[in-house]
This record gives sequence, structure tokens and C-alpha cells, in this order.
Amino acid sequence: MGVKSEIITSDIKANKKKSFIKRYFGQFDLQMMVIPGLLFIFIFNYIPMYGVIMAFQDYDIFEGMMGSSWAGLEHFKMFFSDPRFLEIMRNTFVISGLKILICFPAPIMLALMLNEVKNMAFKRTVQTITYLPHFLSWVIVAGFTMSILSTDNGSLNIVLEKIGLIDGSISFLAIPEYFWTIIVSTNLWKSIGFASIVYIAAIAGVDQQLYEAAALDGASRFKQIFLITIPSIMPIIVIFFILEVGNLLNAGFEDLLILGDSAILRSVSDVIDTYVYRVGIGSGRYSYATAIGLFKALISVGLLTLANYIARRNGNSLW
Amino acid sequence: MRKKSIHWYLLLVFLLTVGIVAGCSDSDTTESVEEEKNDSETNDEAGEEDELFVFGEETLEISMFGNYDWYTMPGWGDDVATAWIKENKKVDITAIDGGGNAEQKLTTMIAGDELPDFIWTDRGASVERLREGGALVPLDPYLDKYTNLRDWFGEEGINMLRSDDGKLYQFPNWYNSSPFGNAGYVVNKGIYEDLGSPPLETTEDLYEYLQLVKENYPDVIPFETGIDGQGINVLYSAFAEGESPANINNVAVPNGDQLTSIFMDENYTESLQYVSKLFREGLITQDALTQDQDMVIEKVTAGNIAVFASASPTDHARTGHYDLLEEDPDGGYFMIHPIHKEGLDPNEVYPGSYNMMGWNVSVITKGAEDPEKVFAFLDWLTGPEGQSSLIFGPEGEYWDGFDEEGFPQFTEKYYEDPEGLAKVEEDTANFQWNGNSNFLDTAKANFEESLPEEHRNWTTHWQNTITWDTQYDATQYLNISPIPESEEGIIQQRVGEVFEEARAKAVYAQSDEEVEQIMEEAETAAQDVGYQQLLEFQTEKWQENLAIVAGE
Repeated sequence: MGVKSEIITSDIKANKKKSFIKRYFGQFDLQMMVIPGLLFIFIFNYIPMYGVIMAFQDYDIFEGMMGSSWAGLEHFKMFFSDPRFLEIMRNTFVISGLKILICFPAPIMLALMLNEVKNMAFKRTVQTITYLPHFLSWVIVAGFTMSILSTDNGSLNIVLEKIGLIDGSISFLAIPEYFWTIIVSTNLWKSIGFASIVYIAAIAGVDQQLYEAAALDGASRFKQIFLITIPSIMPIIVIFFILEVGNLLNAGFEDLLILGDSAILRSVSDVIDTYVYRVGIGSGRYSYATAIGLFKALISVGLLTLANYIARRNGNSLW
Repeated sequence: MRKKSIHWYLLLVFLLTVGIVAGCSDSDTTESVEEEKNDSETNDEAGEEDELFVFGEETLEISMFGNYDWYTMPGWGDDVATAWIKENKKVDITAIDGGGNAEQKLTTMIAGDELPDFIWTDRGASVERLREGGALVPLDPYLDKYTNLRDWFGEEGINMLRSDDGKLYQFPNWYNSSPFGNAGYVVNKGIYEDLGSPPLETTEDLYEYLQLVKENYPDVIPFETGIDGQGINVLYSAFAEGESPANINNVAVPNGDQLTSIFMDENYTESLQYVSKLFREGLITQDALTQDQDMVIEKVTAGNIAVFASASPTDHARTGHYDLLEEDPDGGYFMIHPIHKEGLDPNEVYPGSYNMMGWNVSVITKGAEDPEKVFAFLDWLTGPEGQSSLIFGPEGEYWDGFDEEGFPQFTEKYYEDPEGLAKVEEDTANFQWNGNSNFLDTAKANFEESLPEEHRNWTTHWQNTITWDTQYDATQYLNISPIPESEEGIIQQRVGEVFEEARAKAVYAQSDEEVEQIMEEAETAAQDVGYQQLLEFQTEKWQENLAIVAGE
């Protein structure tokens, strides 16, 4: 049985092979359209990858890639033995995790809530107001945040003082314990509206007859949300979740760089990307920066595959 | 199966070809070797020819790169001073812009082998990296032909600037042999006199005064520290007799002939305990470590502070002084002699430091077609004619000719039109690549002395009476930092982070004991990443410097 089936499959493959070129030229007009795209990806995404060689060299900018001496896994070892390594990994996972935990479901909830709003004018207004912050750069958002939270003349301190909740000003941005809350809430404020657009669109595509049928059967609005809306948009939620998990090591960069850039906050704000920027690029240690980048990329691919594998077992996967 | 693998082989071959082509196009080792040869040939020729390059006879085009994120060169010839140079000396300068990310731009230029004629950058690591990569032209052959640098900077200074191979690559900026610098304490005169002008000499006096300010002026910030908490570093000097905040920048304290841990330094710990006490009691601005320059300027120019200490408080206090004078003729700012801890010698307190090498340097690269001409230009610019034209404008306006000592003779317009004069200097600020402090300070001081006191410039007045006498000569600590990629460089970066964090934590500490504890923890953390090795490296460099300064 085993031998026979092997022969059969290899025959099939051989047949397919033979016809490959024929089939290829048979659809040459279509292939012509694909080739530029493939070339583009090859040239701009694959060729530059040879740069990862730097991670295994003591890259010397004057000698270039060909002249630099090999360093083996030295740079990786250096990163793993850096006294800040554990702290950086913890911050990366915690900040990222908090963002997934809070900033991922929030837009879904917003979309579900907006879907229940019957007044179109109000719905549109809320949508517009919530998605506008997405277009502000982090420099501006961080500027807002800093002036709201500052001690001399910061509005939050003034409000809290006026209503008698606190006695003296609190320097919010100088207390490490508050930092994660601040960073996650500013991210939430900035991203919630824009992220919800996709879900709103998905919800709009749900077959209205399902709701009518459910209503006839006596399902309440809540039941309809949980039994019709959410299951209908589940594939989209899962796909976004997989992408989000693949991004787990991208805990954010500009936000942390601007808001968390003080020595007192470094122990809670330093993530892989800010560390690479400061230590690697900032002081010209390109090999070191590349090694950390490669390490991050490998873990991200692993996470993405893992998330996709789990999702595939439930029938909704990216590939 | 076989056919299939042929496909893959083809792909592999193709990939490799592309890889090799891409890789080879990047390597320009052969080219640069040739260029090096060419350059050294021209160098030799230049050395043999004794003809001096004279400006104005032929047009000289020079390209430059300012290795600072903030640096954008204004158009050469857009202001009166450079327009005059461009027209009369036929020198035209174009800048390569860093686009806000100088490091990256410089790296791109190095990798692409497209270096400009000269690069304006910080001394130390960035220069060493270029030199080790063989990108710089030694300046020694030209020193005797064009002599302004040697005349004004001196042989000792040149020796201090020499690299490990014994050659000089760097052209200094704002070099000086006499003390300079503005670090110290500025006091708000209106508030001070209103509170009965209490003595302000010791740290105790300061503490009591700040408390008094807080009670009487709840909206005024008693002690302003400038950006990055500079004033906190200034306060260190009050506790460390014969030392200066340069120790803080070095993260090392001299002890006999060794540089030792700053975390174990009692003076530093004591100064942080003092700062932390002031901070806890709301006597120091609560944004000390987080504020930006704009916030500081606003407070200082509005007179919203009682005492202001920083590395150069005069910059904004000068503007503030004249603003405050308009509101109240008895107000304004004045400077006090540096604060000291009770029992220390007040004459041995240095709130700031200077070094003879000045601020930064220009280096001429192998990208320069004729390095000699570039050097000739830089040398001319740092000489009397160049400096006078650049700072005081073209001859005939604010100055006319030189006196017998070689300093410009100022015209009446010089003091009749201070705004116009200030504009010339301001407009050329970003062309001042090799300012000659010796020359300018002497020229200005000679002139100031001839003026009645009320006409003297506020900054110049306090420089002459207080700040210049209280700056520490830190030339001995020059270039004691390792290259970032080296083992010690990595340690330095890590120790630097430990230090920064410890300093910030100490400021926010709740008690003196906590400050001590923070310092102890920082010491352990720093030693764990190799602090001792760094200190030994720095000690060695420091001892070498001391030997040079001593003239060995």
C-alpha cells in the first residue's frame, strides 16, 4: 500500500511538473501582472535581508560588510547577558500584553455599542471624534499628555486639587508605578476609534434577516449581540488577534521614547525597540542593534505561527 | 523530482549572483586605497611646495557637514559678514544637511565614501572612529605654513589634541588658555531685597533663604535648576572643595592619583541629600528632571524664580535682567559668589569647569580635493582678520584696522549700535566653527574696560567679576572616555544608565538614609557591569593627560 501510493503520488507530481511550464506560458498574460509585484518584494524585502549578516560580524562602517571580521554569536550573548535584559523583556511583554488586553477588545466594544445607536447623526459624530486622534503624531499626543500631567500648572493636578481629592501636586510622570497606566490609556485614546472602523464595517455586513429571525424567536438585544453579531465578526477578530500576537514584541516606540524618556522611568519604560535605538543606533553599535533586531524578528515569526496554529484548530486562520 | 530541484538550483544561483553583485558594489576598499595614495601624493607635493595659498586669487569651494541634529547651516553669504568673505576672499561654503539625524547622515556618507571637505563635530569618540577608519587628513604639514592656529592655540594645546598616533587631526573651536564659562548662581534682585537681603554664602543660608521665598512668594519657584537638572550638578560644587561638576559628567571622582567611584563619594552623596531635602520641601522646581528649555526660559525671563543655578544661567538671565529692569529699575538679576558648605574654603568652590580645548572641533577628511586649502581657510578664519570679520562684521563698519597688539580698533558705531553688532554675531553663530576666544575676549575686554560701569554688558560684567574666576580647569579630563563600541565603551554606557537612574531616584528620595541606600545599590549595580575596569581605563588616560599638561 505504502509503496504503491508513493509511486502514484510521484507520478501525479511528475505530470504536474511536466505541465508546469506549459501551464505557465498558457497564462503568461496573467503572470506578467504578478511578476512586477514579486520582483518588488524580492528586491526590497528579500535582498536587503543579507544585511542580517551584520548581526554575526563586528561591523565596521569603513570596511563594509565584506571587510568586517566575524563575531559569531557574540552580540546575541552580549544582549542576553546585559543586566537590563530581563527588565527590557518584562517591559516589552507587560506593555504589549496590557495593550492587547485593553486596546484590542476596546474597539470591538465601541463598534458593538455604536451599532446599537439608532440616531445616525450622533453615531457619525462619535465615530469622527474617536478616530481623529489617530491622525495626530505621537509628538503632539505626548506633548498634550505631558502638559496635562505636569506638576507646575498641569490641568489634571489643578482639577484634582480644586475638587479636594489631593493636597499637593502629584508628579504623575515621575512615578514609575503610574507609567503603564498612562501609556496604555494614551494609546487607547489614540487608537480606539480608528481600529473600530473595521469592526463597524464587518458588523454592517451581517445579514439583517438573522436579526429579524432572532427577534421573532424572542431574542433580546443582548442575546442578538452575543449570538449573532459577535459570531459573525469572529473571523475578523481572530485575524486581527493573530496579527496582534505577531506584534507582541513591538510594544510601541515613539510613545515610549517621548513619554518615558527620563531616567526615573527607564526601569518601566525601556522596551526592546527603545533599547535598540538608544544603545545600538545611538552609539553606533550597528551589529549589536542588528542582532537584537534579528532576535526580535525570530520570536515574532514564532509567535505569529503559534497564534495561527491555535486559530487554525478553531477553523479561523490567517493561512 | 530532479527537474524540480533544478528550479531551486537556478533560483539559488540567481540569488547568489544578486547577493554578490549587491555585496561587491558596496565594498569600495580598492577605490579608497587608491584615493588614499592620491591624497598622500598631493600631501607630499603640498609639503614640498612652499607657495602659500592666498585667498581672493582663485575661487575656493568648500563643503562641510555639521555633525549635530540641531545644526543647519544658514546660507553662506546671506548675512553681511559671510557676504563680505564670499565676495572679497572668494570662498564659497556649501553644507550637507543632516536632516535632523546627523549620526545617520554621517554614517551614510562614510558608507557611500562621499565625505565633505570638513566635518564639524564633538571631540573624542566620533573623531577617533573617523581617524581609525582612515578618513581624516593629518594637519601637521600645514601648521608651520599657516600659523594662526599655532600662534593662538599654543603648542601645549596642540599636543593635548594629538591622537594616539602622534598626529594632529582636529581644529579646535572656542579654545582658550584663560578660564571662561558662566556656571553659577543668579539671584532675583527684587525678591532678594524685598526679603531683607539675607546673607547668601553657605548652603544653610541658601536653605533658609529658599524657605523664606516659599513663605512670602508662594507662586515663585525658589530654586530653578534649568534643563536636565543642571542646577543639581552645580550644587555638588558647594560640598566638594577643589572639585567641579566635571566629576559628574565623568562619573568619576579623583582620589589621589586614581579616579574612583562617584557613588562612594561622600561629597556627592551629601549634595544629593541636600538636593533631595530641598526637593521634598518644594524648594526646587518639581519639574527639575522633566522640563524642557522653553519652560525654563519662560520662568526665568518672567522673573518667576528666586535663585537660578545652571551650567550657563547668564544666557536667559541676561534677557530676563533687561526685561525686569523695564518693570522695576531696582529689579533685575545679579550673580552671587558660589554657595559653599560651612567650613569649606569659598575660594576653592567651582560651580563649573572649562577646558583649554574649548567646545568642539573641525576635521578635514580625505574627501577633500585639496586639504591644504581647506586648512588655509580654517586657519584664516580663526586668525584676527577672519574672527573680526565674522564676529564684528566687515572692516570699516564696527571696526577699522588693528592696533599695535593686533586687536581690532573699534569705531564709534561699535557702542552706538549694539543691536546691529549683536545681529552680526548672532547671524554668524552657525559659522563659528573655530572661534578664537583668546582673541575675542581680550578684544572685548579691552573695550569694555574703557566704558563706564552702567554701559557695560550685564553678562560681561559678571563674567569679569565672578564666573571666570570660579571655573575649574578640567583640561586634564579631556578624552578620558572610551570609544562606544569598545569593551570599556559598553561598560560606560551601562554605568551611565545606572548613574542617571540613581541620580533621579536620589532627587525623589524621601530621606537622607534613602539617598545613601540608593547610592549603595547603584555602586553594586555599577560594579556588576564592570565600573572598576572603566575607572582604571579613565585613570590611565587621565594620568597621560596630566603628563602632557606638565610638559613631559
